[in-house]
This record gives sequence, C-alpha cells and structure tokens, in this order.
Amino acid sequence: MHRDNRTRLFFLLPSVLWVLVFTLFPLLYSVRLSLFNVKIGSPDEFVGLGNYVHLFQDGRARSSAIITLIFVSCGVAVQMALGMALALLFNRRLPLRGVLRTVMTMPLFATPIAVGFLFFTIFYEEGGLVNGLLRLNVPWLSNPYWALASITIVDVWQWTPFCFLIFLAVLQGIPQDYYEAAMLETKSGWRVFRFITLPVLQPTIVLVLLLRITEAFKVFDIPFTLTTGGPSTATQVLTMYAYRVGMRFFNYGYSSAISVFLFVVVLAVIMTLFKRVRQTYQ
Amino acid sequence: MTGARLDIVEVPIAEQLNKTITDLRLGTGQFNGFMEAAWYMGEYITPGFIRSIDDYIADERFPRWDTSWLPPSLRNLHAWGGKWYGTLNDSDGQVLYWRNDILSDSEWQRKYKTETGKEMPFPVKTWQDAIDIARFFHGKNWDNNDQEPDTGMVMHFKVNEQGMFHFMSLSAPFVVMGGDKVDRGTNNYWFDPETMEPLIDQPGHVRALEVLYELSRYGPRAQSAWDLGTAWDWFLRGKAIFVFSWGDVGALLQDTARSKIKGKVGASILPGSYEVYDMNDNRWVKLPEPNVVGNTTGGSWHGVISARSRNPEVVYSFYALMATKPVSLWNVYRGWTGVDPGASIHFLLPEGSADLQGYLGAGWNESDLRFYLKAYHDNFFAKTMLPYLRINGAEEYWRALDQNLSETMIGRLSPKEALSRTAKEWDEITSRRGRDAQRKQYQSSIGYRK
Repeated sequence: MHRDNRTRLFFLLPSVLWVLVFTLFPLLYSVRLSLFNVKIGSPDEFVGLGNYVHLFQDGRARSSAIITLIFVSCGVAVQMALGMALALLFNRRLPLRGVLRTVMTMPLFATPIAVGFLFFTIFYEEGGLVNGLLRLNVPWLSNPYWALASITIVDVWQWTPFCFLIFLAVLQGIPQDYYEAAMLETKSGWRVFRFITLPVLQPTIVLVLLLRITEAFKVFDIPFTLTTGGPSTATQVLTMYAYRVGMRFFNYGYSSAISVFLFVVVLAVIMTLFKRVRQTYQ
Repeated sequence: MTGARLDIVEVPIAEQLNKTITDLRLGTGQFNGFMEAAWYMGEYITPGFIRSIDDYIADERFPRWDTSWLPPSLRNLHAWGGKWYGTLNDSDGQVLYWRNDILSDSEWQRKYKTETGKEMPFPVKTWQDAIDIARFFHGKNWDNNDQEPDTGMVMHFKVNEQGMFHFMSLSAPFVVMGGDKVDRGTNNYWFDPETMEPLIDQPGHVRALEVLYELSRYGPRAQSAWDLGTAWDWFLRGKAIFVFSWGDVGALLQDTARSKIKGKVGASILPGSYEVYDMNDNRWVKLPEPNVVGNTTGGSWHGVISARSRNPEVVYSFYALMATKPVSLWNVYRGWTGVDPGASIHFLLPEGSADLQGYLGAGWNESDLRFYLKAYHDNFFAKTMLPYLRINGAEEYWRALDQNLSETMIGRLSPKEALSRTAKEWDEITSRRGRDAQRKQYQSSIGYRK
C-alpha cells in the first residue's frame, strides 16, 4: 500500500472503529434482538417478525406512538415559530440585547432531568409557582391533556433557544445591501421578509427542523421525570414505552422491535424532508 | 469486628431490579448481594440467581438473629420452597393513620351528628366508615393550620410509582377469605392456581375499586399525579384526616421539622368489609363482623446473596449483623432509616420485647407510638393475610394494574372496565412468559397443593 494511503487509513481507522463499535454494532444487535423472544435465564427463541406483528396489535404501543406524534408536531412547530420570532426581534437594535440574548439561551444548557424536576415544582398544583402566583387552578399534571401540554411546554422552553440561536446567526449574516435594494422596491416589511429573509433562511430552517424532529422523537428525560408517563399513559412517549418493556419487564425482544420501528419512522421522516428539499432546489 | 470492607452502591429503586438482573444475566458479578423487594423474588429464584442462606443461619460464626422473630406473614417473603434467602431487615405493610385529635374531639363528633344525622363511625371498622368520615371532613378547614380547606383522605396515584399498592391493601377484605386451605377462593387473590386465570376482574375486586375511587374523591385532585412522598407530606402538614400507608409515616410524623401533627395521630390495621366475594361459589358472603385482612404490601426490603458472589460469607455476615437485635432496634427506633417494625423484637410487651424507653429516647410521642405498634402488630399477625405476588414478572403484572387504575382515577375507565382490561393484559403476560411455568411458580409461592 502506498505510504500516503496508509497514513490516511491510520487517521481514519479510529473513527471507522468508533462508528462500527458504537453505532453499527448496537443497531445490528438491536435488529437481531427484535427477531427473538429473549427470556432471562433461558436461550433466546427465534420468533421472526412476531414482535413486529405484536407491535401493530398492541394498543399501548399505538397510544404511545400517537402521543409521540402529537408531542413532536406541536413541540417542534412552536419551537420553530417562537425561535424565528425571537431571532427577528433580536436582529434589531434593542437595549440590553447582549444580556437578553445570553439569558435567552440559558435553558439550552440545563440538564433535562433537572429541568423535569424543576418543572415538577413549578407545575405543582396545590399552590405551586404557576398556580400559586397566577391564582390559577390548572390541573397541570393530573389531567391527561394538560399533562401532555406540560411536557410540551417544558420541551419548548428548553429547545426554543436552540432554534433562536441558529436563526439569529443566519439573519446576522444576511448582507444589508439585500435589504437596502429591496426597500427601493417595497415598503412592506412582510414582503421583504417573504422574498428576502425567508429564502435565505430556508436551508437553515430545514436543517433546524430535521435536528429538532430527530431529537424530539427521542424525548425521554422530561416525561420520565415530570410525569413518569402519566396520568395513566397520557404522556408515555414511545421511547419510554420501549424502556419500560425492555428495562422493567425484561422483554428485550419486543423492546428492540419498538426501538427499530422508531428508528425507521424517524429515518422515513428525514428522507421525506430531504427529498422535498432536493426537489425544491432542483 | 470482621475487618471486612464493603462497597455499597446506592441505586434508585426504579433502577434496582434492572441493574441486578442485567448483572446476573450477563454474569459480570458486579454485586455480591443486593437489597430486594419481595416481589423481585420470582425473577431471582427461577434462574437460580440467588443462594439460600440456610447453612449460614445455623452457623455460629456469624452474628446471631432468629428467624422466629418474624411472623409467618413476613417469614413467607424471605423464604421460598422451605429455604431461606433473605435476612430480617425492613417490614412493609399498610395501616390506616388518622387524625386522632380531630376524630376523638366531642365537638367534631357533635357536628358530624348534626350534619349527617348519624353518630360518627369512629373508631373506623369498615371502608364505608372511612368514606363517611372522609366525606364529612373534605372541604372543611378543620385543621386551621392555614386558610385553605383540608381534605378527608390523601393517596398517591402517580402512574409507574406505587399507586397500585393502595388498591391491593384496600381490596383485600372484599376478596380474601381466610381458612386452613389455599384454593381459588380461599387465601387467594391474584390467579386461579389451577389455570392461571386472572382473578383481578372478579366482583370483589371491582367493588373494592369502586370504594377506592369513591374514597379518592375526598382527597386533593392533584393526587392522581402525586408520588408517595408528596402524599405523605400532605398528611404531615395536617391537610388530611386519613392516609393509609407504610410504617415510614409513623416515624416521619415524629420529625417536627417536617410534621405539624406529632402526638395527634392514631393508627390501626386497615378497615374491613361486611361482605366478601367467594370466588369458589361465585357469590357474596355476608359476615356478622367485618372481614379484616392484614397485608405485607410493599417491598419488605431485605438482603439476598448473589449465586455468583465470590464472597457470600462476607455478605451474609453483614446482613446478619444488621438483623441482630441491637442493630435492628436502632434502625426501627429511629425510623428515618426506612426500616419499619414487623418482628417480635420490635414490639412492646406483652407482644414483643422492645424497650419503650428506646423509642421515647429516639423522639417518639408515646401516644403515637402505642397506636403505631399495635396497628403493625395487628396487621402482621392477622389471622387472614393478603397473599403476596412473587412470581416471575410480578412487576409487569403490577404495572399493568397500575396504569389501568390510573385510568379509573382520571375518569377514563370505570372500575369494571379497568379491571377487565387488566385481566386481559395479565393473561397476555402469562401466555408470553409461559403459562405452565407461571402456574408452577404461583402454586409454589402461595403454598397451593392440589
């Protein structure tokens, strides 16, 4: 082998090994597990697609999938809209803009587990921070609909700054000339946004959307700490259901099938989005 | 002193079974021994993950403790198939705590009679009595600790926590019939021991869930999202007339930093029912006196030794030391250790051999203490006991029950619907785990013989 090639291989090898050991192997092992009925203390029993068939017949899995979809679609939509609005606001001259921007990004650095516990006290219904201060009587965590809204609110609180930061960075990179030229054509702020800002932002919007969808599908910590999936199963997202089935009931085969299913769903969503983006640019 | 050095790893309760099972299954042998809740026993026994301590108990080299200190109800949770696996440590069971200062107050009793036209049914004998009292006090500011109205009862129904334990304890007198034998309808609760048909949707269980639901209406609305600690805190702050829970409450209410009700609380074995459903003859049986059933609801956390342990003697020595009379009493006197009374050495004369001064020296109020110890003695030494589910997958069966109970508490399912769904899910779990194996284990765990 040529000396240069060997050097390249030497530097590439660690990352290739990393991907093989920590990404590909667990994924393949998970797929393999999903085809077996795994019982502690006895040999694994091959069941083919049995776990997947069960997945489509399992009411609790269906309910968790619907809850996950609601959580992802509502949460990500609000985060994107709020992030964009805030970025547009902070792209202007504001008093204390630097300080406010720093404060705005703080939720991003909080640990989700800690955030869950923090909001448990904030949403405490008998005189907690929100109900107590605002003299409300909202059943934040004891009503199934409010509980789902609560975990979505917490996720929005934590991840809106991420969207905001990225949008702001791109907005600040748009040359002022574009706007000056546009102002010669129109006085409408909306038209400037629609035909100048938005097209420039579009690739970033898609990127942020992809990142947020992927992350939101994997949500676990916040419902786990805030509601433990309840009341009943009102906030039991699919990751939490997979965790319960695998790590609490030791049904590793079925749990792996749920995880593989979630992986395929996320992959399909991302592929579809990419396809749309590609079509737009072509 | 042995000179041994022990590394003790603290794991959240929710993660414990998962961590130990993973360790045992993969054979890494990270843990020589672990504290187990009694419902883990089935998971450990079948694959032979834990070892019997019979030889060690008889071995005089180790610190001495006596298995006869435990009542039969608790002894059963530490042993399997005639062999001992666990040492004395914690004793779990639920009893009823009430605000003795309020319920024994003649002025409140007069108000009760004026409002309801009946005498206050105190002391409480049945769950209906508890409902009547809870209903009367709910929404009144009877405690005067704050300006807010107080509640009649408080429970914890946060899903995937410990809400299902409330149902088990409360339902026992509607379901469990005592007697000398064990069969479908006698000293049984969970499954038909012959077929493994779930019995959770039987009329006795359904009636009990109706009672639990009715009782829950006299508690704070938010309790359907409360965990154990939050519900305890509500009672300790003087916000509820009743709570039915574990021994920890008795100890916690002595801590004036957290409790406003030290010296104001009574306790008793859980109330009973004048009717019990006979699952042999499928009919309700009326009784002249309430059917009162003791329970060992909870974990009764105790140490077991891993079959893979390289140092089983060291582990046993430690467990045995913790089970000796002076150490066990030290833990129970203080209560905040989480070790609750259950063995004869923990009770006062004439039932046991503990020293009143030991408790008082640890800060107990004497009135609270006497109620508390009598309640636990009556509970653990009751003639009829709620059988304990210790088979493989107990956790999974209970979680299915818990989620469906939560559906009832938030009004999505009626008690009958919730328990029918539970029965269906239990049957699926049994089929998946292997009906024959589950049946054998269930029969063995409740002492059933054909």
